[in-house]
Amino acid sequence: MEPLDFKQSAALSIGIELELQLVETFGCDLTHAASDLIQLAERRSHPGEIKPEITESMIEIATGIHQTHAALDAELRAIRDAVSAAAETLNVLVCGGGAHPFQNWTDRQIYDRPRFKHLSGLYGYLAKQFTVFGQHIHVGVPHGDDALFLVHAMSRYVPHFVALAASSPYFQGADTQFESSRLNAVSAFPLSGRAPLVLRWSDFIEYFAKMQGLGIVESMKDFYWDIRPKPEFGTVEIRVCDTPLTAERAAVLAAYAQTLARFLLIERPFQLSEDLHLPYGYNRFQACRFGLDGDFIDPLAQSHLPLREDIMATLEGLKPHAMELETEVPLAELEVIVRDSSTDARWMRSRYQLTGSLPDLVWQQCRKWRGDS
Amino acid sequence: MGEYLFLPSWPLQIPQLFWLGVVLLGATLLGELVDRLFRLPRILGYVIAGAVLGPEATGLLSVAEVRGLRPFFEVAMGIVLFELGSRVDPGWLRRNPWLLVTSGLESGLAFGAVFGILLVVDTPPLVAAAAGAIAMATSPAVVLTVSRELRAQGQVTSRLQLLTALNSVYSFVVFGILFAWLHLAEHGSIGLVALHPLYIVFGSALLAFISAKALLALLARLGPRGDVQTISAVGVVIVTVSVAMALNLSVVMSMLGLGILTRALDRDRRFLAVSFGYVGQLFVIALFALTGTALPLNFGATALAAGLGIAAARALGKSVAVVGLARLSGLSYRKASLLSVGLLPMSGVAVVMAHEAGAIWPQFGPQLGAVVLAAVLILELLGPLAVQFALRRAGDAADRR
Repeated sequence: MEPLDFKQSAALSIGIELELQLVETFGCDLTHAASDLIQLAERRSHPGEIKPEITESMIEIATGIHQTHAALDAELRAIRDAVSAAAETLNVLVCGGGAHPFQNWTDRQIYDRPRFKHLSGLYGYLAKQFTVFGQHIHVGVPHGDDALFLVHAMSRYVPHFVALAASSPYFQGADTQFESSRLNAVSAFPLSGRAPLVLRWSDFIEYFAKMQGLGIVESMKDFYWDIRPKPEFGTVEIRVCDTPLTAERAAVLAAYAQTLARFLLIERPFQLSEDLHLPYGYNRFQACRFGLDGDFIDPLAQSHLPLREDIMATLEGLKPHAMELETEVPLAELEVIVRDSSTDARWMRSRYQLTGSLPDLVWQQCRKWRGDS
Repeated sequence: MGEYLFLPSWPLQIPQLFWLGVVLLGATLLGELVDRLFRLPRILGYVIAGAVLGPEATGLLSVAEVRGLRPFFEVAMGIVLFELGSRVDPGWLRRNPWLLVTSGLESGLAFGAVFGILLVVDTPPLVAAAAGAIAMATSPAVVLTVSRELRAQGQVTSRLQLLTALNSVYSFVVFGILFAWLHLAEHGSIGLVALHPLYIVFGSALLAFISAKALLALLARLGPRGDVQTISAVGVVIVTVSVAMALNLSVVMSMLGLGILTRALDRDRRFLAVSFGYVGQLFVIALFALTGTALPLNFGATALAAGLGIAAARALGKSVAVVGLARLSGLSYRKASLLSVGLLPMSGVAVVMAHEAGAIWPQFGPQLGAVVLAAVLILELLGPLAVQFALRRAGDAADRR
């Protein structure tokens, strides 16, 4: 089982992948531009990676591996600028957000690569409906057992990430009433949800082999879990965040994940058990639907509290770790976001209320992503 | 007999509108046939239906009846040009100046190639130049309709639309200048020479500006209701077309200008939601069917050879520019080649131009017509195929439903 060897990586290093929307300037609908954009961007040298995704209307940008939030933030902004330059030449706009507010999924076109064509053949309309845009945060761990511990310990905090990153209130031209509608599109896939409670890497290899033997999966890529180990990188990958509207916020969320991981790995604040996961689906739904105003069930204290209070309490507990990792500034920013409810989903709703025009909303998202306003 | 007054008199007086219905029905049916049986662009069906019904073939529609439908043709043309104009983003030329260079060069080379080849075969210089001017333009209607039919999006589509709008404008300006030149040859009055094109260019631009401002003010009042906005845009287009015709201005320039300016002056992006959908479709069918009725079907081998020569020279000029500047403007050679294929359809506007020339300068029109119309006919039929091929191959076309 060589491919599933857990590659050792620098503890608590961070990296980000962001899926971005490509939009035309005529009516701000999604457009087909990924292959031209990538080809053009690759002509000049730039940091990080710019990669195709499943449809021609999206690209993925990925940073390298970083120890600090400051370095990650700087690289992310440099990649963003490289993409913006290429996009300008092609008259294409780029924006964040977990879903395009009014695109028609039947108009999407699958990117010309064998894996994408295979997925499209397998999943049918789900593949095209999966034109949603997420942020994946990677946190480095030195050992597979640590990775599995983190996968499960972190799942208590999944609602935090959902609510803080939520930026997909509009989908297919309508207000979904959700703060993050994107995760609903993910839930349709058979291998979504959370990883089974396996805590030793050797056991995980066994589990994977069984799934492979049954012909359910071919590689780790076939698991669409909210949090999954990524053995070839030596990381734990958090996949529940919508792509934020700015590169800066994406970096802030990564800093939160990094600090939280340090806290969990060092303090080991709770025992992992199935009981910890009992409210998982409930909490996750509340965060998707109501964002920071959602209800949160603390599985250990077995009590209800507003999600925003749980985030505030968590941020308080992270302070010593933030000092070690130099993440005080981004974490202070998160406090402000929670206090003022200044999430991206909120911003989008208030913009829309101002003009009543979804195309205009997308236009504003593009400006925000470029860093103009 | 007297008591049967309520019955119609014989022979029946058939209103003009009846023929419009016949043309629309015939064109729609043939369009669907062409699409379903051969997977060819529906436009072909529209044009052929028009040609079959028209005076040159079966003569079901007489010359007088075709002329009666002319206002509808003008409006349809206006809508198409307006929509194309509104898809043109002048800011793109600023952000990617090589596109402007490409645009100038492809039009310039097309002009030069056609002018050159006609001079070689001893065409009078003015006629050769006028043919060159007409050859600069790509058909806005074909480009817009085929890209809409395929729901095409992407670099080849948007560049094709941009280049088409620009070369239509150049073509018109150069044509206007040639008119003036002709004026000089005839009357020797410098004042007239300068005045006519100036009147057309500035008059059309001013009209476009005023209409654009009015349309945007209207849209601001109406609020973000896509359907109401679309209908009012159509209304403004019809009014502007009529004013342009009444003032002897250029419908082509005013409507392209209206589209471009409405978009460019739209600081609050109220115009983003306007889409022409079925309304646009209706006018497009009428436009092509009526173009079909005006197509000359009888011409000799010489005219056909001349037409092929012009078409080939024009294609060469355009593709040299587009492919030559591909890398600089940020496009792969493959897509640039497809883009130059997309630029092939020659403009039905050319027919209009030749007619207009004939109206103002009776001795000039027929000469020009003989040279150009064969090329127009060839490219009217092959053009939609070329655009469809280019957009499909570029991957810009949406999957088949």
